[in-house]
Amino acid sequence: MSANDTPHRGLLPAGLSDMLPPEAALEAHAMERVMGRLAAHGYQRVKPPLVEFEESLLGGPGAALAKDTFRLMDPVSQRMMGVRPDMTVQIARIAVTRLRDAPRPLRLSYAGNVIRVRGSQLRPERQFAQAGAELIGPDSADADAETILLAVEALRAVGVANLSVDLNLPTLVTAVCRSLALPAVTVARLRRALERKDEDAVRRSLGAASASADLFVGLLRTVGPAEPGLTALQALDLPEDARAEADRLEAVMLLVRTAAPDLRLTIDPVEYRGLEYQTGVSFTFYALDTRGELGRGGRYRAGYPEDEAAADLSVVPIASETGPADAGRGRTVPATGFTLYMDTVSGAARIQLPGQRLYVPPGTPWNALAGWQAQGFLTVRGLDAGAEPATEARRLGCTHTLVDGKPTAI
Amino acid sequence: MNEEARGDAPESGSDKLILALPKGRILTESAPLLHAAGIDPEPSFHDENARALRFTTSRPDVDIIRVRSFDVATFVAFGAAQLGICGSDVLMEFDFNEIYAPVDLGIGRCRLSVAEPADLAASDDPSRWSHIRIATKYPELTRRHFAARGVQAECIKLNGAMELAPTLGLCHRIVDLVSSGRTLQENGLKEIERIAEVSSRFIVNRAALKTRPEVIGAWIERFRAAARGLIADAA
Repeated sequence: MSANDTPHRGLLPAGLSDMLPPEAALEAHAMERVMGRLAAHGYQRVKPPLVEFEESLLGGPGAALAKDTFRLMDPVSQRMMGVRPDMTVQIARIAVTRLRDAPRPLRLSYAGNVIRVRGSQLRPERQFAQAGAELIGPDSADADAETILLAVEALRAVGVANLSVDLNLPTLVTAVCRSLALPAVTVARLRRALERKDEDAVRRSLGAASASADLFVGLLRTVGPAEPGLTALQALDLPEDARAEADRLEAVMLLVRTAAPDLRLTIDPVEYRGLEYQTGVSFTFYALDTRGELGRGGRYRAGYPEDEAAADLSVVPIASETGPADAGRGRTVPATGFTLYMDTVSGAARIQLPGQRLYVPPGTPWNALAGWQAQGFLTVRGLDAGAEPATEARRLGCTHTLVDGKPTAI
Repeated sequence: MNEEARGDAPESGSDKLILALPKGRILTESAPLLHAAGIDPEPSFHDENARALRFTTSRPDVDIIRVRSFDVATFVAFGAAQLGICGSDVLMEFDFNEIYAPVDLGIGRCRLSVAEPADLAASDDPSRWSHIRIATKYPELTRRHFAARGVQAECIKLNGAMELAPTLGLCHRIVDLVSSGRTLQENGLKEIERIAEVSSRFIVNRAALKTRPEVIGAWIERFRAAARGLIADAA
């Protein structure tokens, strides 16, 4: 029998890993600081379950994540459940059901682990921690700017250096395509070309309609630093709907710029991938030397638009229209928010863990430990009376030991 | 020691840009473009026998690495290289979200085609296919292409000499790059479908463009101008 017949006990399924010291502590620390900033700005924490019914989890904006979701059958209700691949949808569900009567604007925050069926080549993790905030109710540039500034503040609080915020407008290309009445096949090809930032492919996808090709290439050329990008965007001959979107983006950018003059801001109004369910100004966070994104967010409709359509079609008795039985169904509300990917964030963070470990020899009274802890030491009790203190301290990774009852560096 | 220095100075580690270039034919064709864009590699770069993998250039802020064409996409997607030149065939195969391909350089032109033995082609009716077996360097792209028209393509991944597969009975059909079509002809194969036109692109890493928009943006402009210059010369 070869050794391969017995799997190694330490082997974990692909994309799952044990977090060891000090990474686990670093992430916990980063999480605490992020949640602290959100709380300071009046965001109240909620905690949805890990698993819930598929229809709630994958309805509305959750549909985009259906292919990433682990499903299991609930033996109790005999209904399908999903393990959350993301938490935003859960917060949105809470906002339109149990907290539907809470005063707006409703500010909620959350932190927890999510799990996905598969990772990507660049992001192989299948389980990772998210932390985020949602601002439910108002639909304004001020609300958009608030979530961006809040995320920036949280990322800076954990010491992410050289932060960069990319402002996106996934609805812009949709609005332009609609006004040009482009066929769906062309739109799909155009989207791919725009995602690749491939000007020649953009022109090819539009074929003979060269006037609109200039417009889309013009949009591509706005990608880059925010201020010149917005000037270029405003100079384009945009249809009315698209113009309103662009104006909103500019308003948000100016608000963010005023509050954070030294922040690196870029715009990319053609970015679409991963933003399919956003309904307005969206954003992605990057940091220099950090692979991939630290987080993203943007405007969406909280709730279940598919119920809205169903509610319109069904005959609803007047009495129950506002009644408690139907409340929460068929209602969507404007919302914006962001999610931080805490594994990436804590990798980019500069967090100094308390590193002074003090070895306390056996027999030291328990009550004495608090004194050293108050001085900032982490105490490590010796349990082996026979061991020589200095050797034992070094063996256990301590930085300090007691000499004449005083903490002394080894 | 380098690592430490990098940790202390926030931006020092990323000041240098890495440009990934593919070995082979495209490398030769990109030399005038590089020159036009203002990058002249150190002399040993042109020495085919040089064992070095990384080369300096006339630009102190740009180093070049020379890797296999599929690896150019991988280096750029992961941000290990910020800039690169690679064929659109490679980009189609990988479909990495992290790569932008802003400039068509107009070099390395060829096409990606399906071919089969000439005698089979005479009687074959592709509209009746439900399953085919194909030898190719591009399994993902091939599977996607045929799935889109309802055909299941079972791909046998080969790294070269695709033309041998049908003659030796590995499978009947291949998907491969075709430029003149002479290699196909010499092996008794006939091109039955063109999947895509291929040319080389100047590619950049997404996060690099977002975090260093001025520097990366300027390189995009330089290569765009260089490509336009060459195309104008050719016309």
